[in-house]
Amino acid sequence: MLIYTILVFVFLFAPIAIVILFSFNKTASLTFPFHGFSLRWYRAVFSSPTYQSAILASLRVGVITVLVVMLVGTLAALGLSRYQIRGNAALRSSILIPAALPGLFIGTALLTLFVQVHIPLSLWTVTAGHLVYILPYFFLVASSRLQRFDFLMEESAHDLGAGPWATFRRVTLPLIAPSLIAGALVAFSLSWDEVFITNFTIGAQNTLPLVIYSTVKQSVDPSVNAVSTLLLAGSLIFIVAIRRFLVDVQS
Amino acid sequence: MASATGIAAARRRRRTAVALLVGPAVVLVSGALLIPTINLLVQSFLVPSGYGQVSYHFTIANYTSALTDPTYLKLALYSFGLGALAAIACLVLGYPVAYFISFRLTRGRNIALFLVVVSLFTSYLVRLYAWYTILGEHGVINDALIRLGVISTPLMFLLFSRWAVLTAFVNIFLPYTILMLTSSMQNIRKDLLENARDLGASPLRTFSRIVLPLSMTGAIGALVYTFILTSGDYITPALLGGTQSTAIANVVSDQFLALGNRPEGAAISFMMLAVFFVVYLGLTRLERFKGF
Repeated sequence: MLIYTILVFVFLFAPIAIVILFSFNKTASLTFPFHGFSLRWYRAVFSSPTYQSAILASLRVGVITVLVVMLVGTLAALGLSRYQIRGNAALRSSILIPAALPGLFIGTALLTLFVQVHIPLSLWTVTAGHLVYILPYFFLVASSRLQRFDFLMEESAHDLGAGPWATFRRVTLPLIAPSLIAGALVAFSLSWDEVFITNFTIGAQNTLPLVIYSTVKQSVDPSVNAVSTLLLAGSLIFIVAIRRFLVDVQS
Repeated sequence: MASATGIAAARRRRRTAVALLVGPAVVLVSGALLIPTINLLVQSFLVPSGYGQVSYHFTIANYTSALTDPTYLKLALYSFGLGALAAIACLVLGYPVAYFISFRLTRGRNIALFLVVVSLFTSYLVRLYAWYTILGEHGVINDALIRLGVISTPLMFLLFSRWAVLTAFVNIFLPYTILMLTSSMQNIRKDLLENARDLGASPLRTFSRIVLPLSMTGAIGALVYTFILTSGDYITPALLGGTQSTAIANVVSDQFLALGNRPEGAAISFMMLAVFFVVYLGLTRLERFKGF
């Protein structure tokens, strides 16, 4: 069983390892044997205006998405964990539903509306798609901590004379901050890699995954490997960074 | 009386607080999903008039053609079949791994789980590209086989086939499946398995009578999730499937991006949603399953 598990992990990671390996290849070949280490494909990526502007576009969309989702998602998670009202379950599932829908559906629905009400496609329309798709994931990570949060602590703070804002800042926020940070990092990784919805809501300015997608459809060389490695790094750095919040991410 | 009005006032305050806190999320989901969905539903009943235009007349023709066009039906059958196959393959391949991580590993457990999470967050698109460079005409596998003298011309069925698409699906959704299974196995007490063994149950029987029923929630969640996201995927078939393995999702995306017949595309995607919903309902009923 150990050997089987190791084989499964090899199956999961080998393709990625091959992509990363050939991003450092000296020649344009994408097959073995490996010809020697070089950074020429990374130089090619960083000197290409297309890739440069795509990286900036992806960063912009990612940062705005994270900020909005953090604000909206934290409030919603607080509201639904602290108070038990009728309709709680319905509200919760209406926030979670976009995670169970294919990007195809969200993307086409948004595109149709944008076209009809004459909203020009841009990075803003891309961001709109990312927001609704990523909110459920942030909400889940944020709620996972809040569900085990003892709200009596807030009452104690209130009894000791703290106002609502002081209570939130001094008591609630420090305790839930790790899961909010974990949620924000998850949100950024998802936005950084999103292609299913973005393919419909994109305007003239491409994001990084979209550039990769349209390049692969035409021809490939190791510069695609280099930019793919950057894309991987962009999401994985954060996941490795939240290793200590692993419990929250799992649930 | 005073306390009754007090309780009523407290309830009102609670409701106002929830409305204020959850309000922004509701606005976001309504604006970016609910309203676009209703709008798309309306579109699916309108007459297409070519080049992305619609004329505002009611028709159900989009649905009748979505349901009767033999090409659509063939592609839908292919997509849902492949999605089901991917979901089942992930479950079959994932169960032993989840079992091993949950009950056999102690020190390595967190590292193994962490690796699963890492692969979960490893870019979808990059993994598709990886398989593209491995399975392609001049890819890693063909190149190696030619060098070794096993074959003289590249095997063309590796890439641009349903098997390439299935391989990528399993590669991408296996981590989700393993994670959902391990998280539902957390509730199975280890001594339960030891007792079963001491009482003479075979490993297979222990699995089918204890592990399987108690991890059913995770298994069903994984099946539903994988089925929906794979059979609704239009990117993987476009990159790895070739012309022979177009999925129904590609028909939908083409209607919106290339041909511009949005009502038709909308009708097909609502039919797909209906299938997803039925599968979801059917599978969640299985949750009460108590083992063989």
